Amino acid sequence: MKPFNEKLTRAVVGIAGLGGLGSMVATALARTCVGHLILCDFDQVEETNLNRQNYFLDQVGMNKVEASLVNLRRINPHITLEAHHGKLSPKDVPKVFKDAHVIAECFDKVDQKQWMAETVLSELTVPLVTGSGLAGIGRSNLIKTQVMSKRLIMVGDQVSDINLGLPLTAGRVWIVAAHQANAIVELLLE
Amino acid sequence: MKSLKINGESRDFPEGLPETLSALLDLLNINHATVVAEVDEKIIKRIQFSSTPLKSDQSIELVRFVGGG
Repeated sequence: MKPFNEKLTRAVVGIAGLGGLGSMVATALARTCVGHLILCDFDQVEETNLNRQNYFLDQVGMNKVEASLVNLRRINPHITLEAHHGKLSPKDVPKVFKDAHVIAECFDKVDQKQWMAETVLSELTVPLVTGSGLAGIGRSNLIKTQVMSKRLIMVGDQVSDINLGLPLTAGRVWIVAAHQANAIVELLLE
Repeated sequence: MKSLKINGESRDFPEGLPETLSALLDLLNINHATVVAEVDEKIIKRIQFSSTPLKSDQSIELVRFVGGG
């Protein structure tokens, strides 16, 4: 794969969470030849993840960071991948993502999204691209990329909460992940 | 009249301002675990919500999150 821009090959992107959002954001950035990805997740692949997350049936039981390393290297062996398996806490964020030029928030739970955003905004100087409002089906065109403040970009419809009992489905989650990847590439090329 | 600018819109508090950021969020019925707050362009961490006093004419930005990923 030939990088279309040298800036991207030197770029470092942090991805917090490798579920439906993170596994797809990582895939899109690897295909776009973003040079360095920092991947963080604590979880293992489960069969119920396969409805939307970028893993395979024979990877059930693997750590998501391990499975992501395998899958991303199959797509693009020319990028560097840094993997952190384990639960990220707010105090780890400045250290784990110290070299990142942009960070993608790809967590599942709302309180994790909250602490990730307040930590990046108060303790780092780089932009955060967060996903919020992606549950359910249809309503593709309600998903937007919005600049909430100087360093906070939010992707989603901002209302479709998993707590409303809505399902998570590949199409709608991937729209958000694709918006996130697109926003990240745009920020890297600014 | 005491007022705050909340997400760009002015809001009056004829019965007095909520004393803290935490009290304002409670008044607005916002779960603290779902919001990132900025007072006069400074991020206030969730742990400091209840120790952040509010003054009239401050500008408050509240960004809400919902779960799923």
